[in-house]
Amino acid sequence: MKKVFYFIICFLALKSHAQNKQVLYNFAGIPQTLLSNPGSDVSYEWYVGIPLLSGISAQAGSNSVSAYDLFAKNNTNFNEKLRNAIFLSSPKDKILVNQQLEVFSAGIKLGDWQSNSYLSFGLYQEFNVLSYIPKDPAILALEGNQNYMGKSFRLNDINFKSDLLSVWHIGYHKKVSNQLLIGGRAKIYSSGFTINSTRNSGYIYTDYDDTTVYNQIISSNLEVQTSNVSQFLEDDYNGKIGIDLAQNTFFKGNLGIGFDLGATYYPKPEWQVTASILDVGFIRHTKDLATYTYKGYYKYEGINPNFIPNDDPDNVIKSFEEAIPRDTLYTKFTTWRSVKWNASAQYSFGKPQSQNCNCTTSENKYQNAIGLQLFAMSMPKNPFLAATAYYQRSLFEALQVKATYTLDTFSKSNIGFGLSANLGALNFYTMVDNVLEYRDVSKANSLSFQLGLNFIIPQKTRYFD
Amino acid sequence: MWYLKKYKLLKNGWIFLIFLLSAISCSSELDFDQANDLKLTPVFVANLTYFNIPVSAFIENNIDGGVAIDVEDFSPFRDAFFRKNLKKTVLNFEVENSISRAFSVDLLLLNENNIPIDTIRLSVAASNGTTVTVNQTVVFEGERLEALQQMAQVGFIVKMAAGSPLTTDSVGSIQLRSSATIYLEIE
Repeated sequence: MKKVFYFIICFLALKSHAQNKQVLYNFAGIPQTLLSNPGSDVSYEWYVGIPLLSGISAQAGSNSVSAYDLFAKNNTNFNEKLRNAIFLSSPKDKILVNQQLEVFSAGIKLGDWQSNSYLSFGLYQEFNVLSYIPKDPAILALEGNQNYMGKSFRLNDINFKSDLLSVWHIGYHKKVSNQLLIGGRAKIYSSGFTINSTRNSGYIYTDYDDTTVYNQIISSNLEVQTSNVSQFLEDDYNGKIGIDLAQNTFFKGNLGIGFDLGATYYPKPEWQVTASILDVGFIRHTKDLATYTYKGYYKYEGINPNFIPNDDPDNVIKSFEEAIPRDTLYTKFTTWRSVKWNASAQYSFGKPQSQNCNCTTSENKYQNAIGLQLFAMSMPKNPFLAATAYYQRSLFEALQVKATYTLDTFSKSNIGFGLSANLGALNFYTMVDNVLEYRDVSKANSLSFQLGLNFIIPQKTRYFD
Repeated sequence: MWYLKKYKLLKNGWIFLIFLLSAISCSSELDFDQANDLKLTPVFVANLTYFNIPVSAFIENNIDGGVAIDVEDFSPFRDAFFRKNLKKTVLNFEVENSISRAFSVDLLLLNENNIPIDTIRLSVAASNGTTVTVNQTVVFEGERLEALQQMAQVGFIVKMAAGSPLTTDSVGSIQLRSSATIYLEIE
């Protein structure tokens, strides 16, 4: 019980974002933008990401309380702070953690100098947590049911999932005309572990009754699906969790497939629109499975004697356990990835930077760009939505900067900055968002960063390059 | 030369970013150890027991000597977590009698060897036409609470006191409604 509560506290203390890489999206021809839109306007002769350093990103967010609300060093009792945090939260409040690490990535242009087809591939590792605040069960644990006559404590407030996986991917994008680029990416998922409890329902209800003192009902439809987890829960497990997790993630995972699609279109040279859909795919879980269920209905009336001589004594505890049994199933199951959508419209302006460049990609021709981006991600309850306005500027040829303002469920004042710098063939990029929250990170509701290093050989634009 | 210019720009960009973040970033003092102070004190209420014996049962079923007896299995304290965090239990009883005879209701709390660990006696006077209601509260704390946790069965003895004989024309019933209030302290 207490452990469960510590778990909830951890969630309350985190604040986060939803894989919305709004600063990185469509930015400066960085190869990693191909992972958020496989049809990005990115060109190269070839590129290699510096192994383990080419793409590092972490995002965490919650839209209820901050670490400060719970752990501020002041005279308020911790239990009081926790109580306030839970009562102020909504069951729609969520906590999201997403971390990605590119193990390796590379790309190459296919065909001769006139060709406009590109291949990109790699392997990255990803860790996700998504949980809604289990508000009703938390109130029940904090306060009990005594002062909540007539209230149904909803069990569908328990809604969480977490997984660790590696993703092998290969993508192809092609400039089909001067106006249009399209691309796609195939993915093989290998899940190191999965915990999934997103389809719960039921309630715990108490009210006054005319016959018995209370009308008490537990209707429970709880289920937690796990794969590659139960081995760690066994009493005789004595392996090294880190090593076993890594092995499961990269070599012995439960496998799945998926794809990304995307496009970039220039209706006019200064206008650009893009769209992408990511992670349309699933994982089939067949190894080390355990699904824990707690399903049934029970109306508790107490121990009620019937005064019939010589009958077998009733046992309410036993009949309760029979009505709502705790079961473990070992059946195979499928989990779907969270699908993400991106779209953007951009207007570029400003004097061309260099008249020498004969590039057909129009982005670098302009010094400035303003645009709007939309992001959506499927979630167990409502989809996560975000809208971003941005300004992008090229400073000389070496440095591109982007500033973003994002509106989403976590924040209405999310300002982000990104920069991408090229030093010869070396490309470095870094991005942060919610910069206003850095005034006091303990009060931040959401923070994220991305950074990476690539080695990029630019595309030859002339035959004799 | 262009190379140097780029390098300078890059370096300045870096310095600017680091400076910017470190200049604007700070954190209020946090104390994560206070999570150890976590203490949950929920109070749960639940039905305990209910019966309603009509006067006819004492006549038609020929309940021997005006005594109704039953035993029910009840071992709510088997769970170690529950036992460890249980601080107090309060049992509330309400007896309603509309029969023209007085009653005593005994609840024998028995351990798994059928040995009584506690007895609760509820007495209600005879009805003179209106229902007689008796409320009683029993608090279990300390040693009495520890003993209660041995409970495995509850015996019910509903005994009619002596008085004028009941007939098929007699009306009324004896009813018991009861609930438990459970105080937990989880830390």
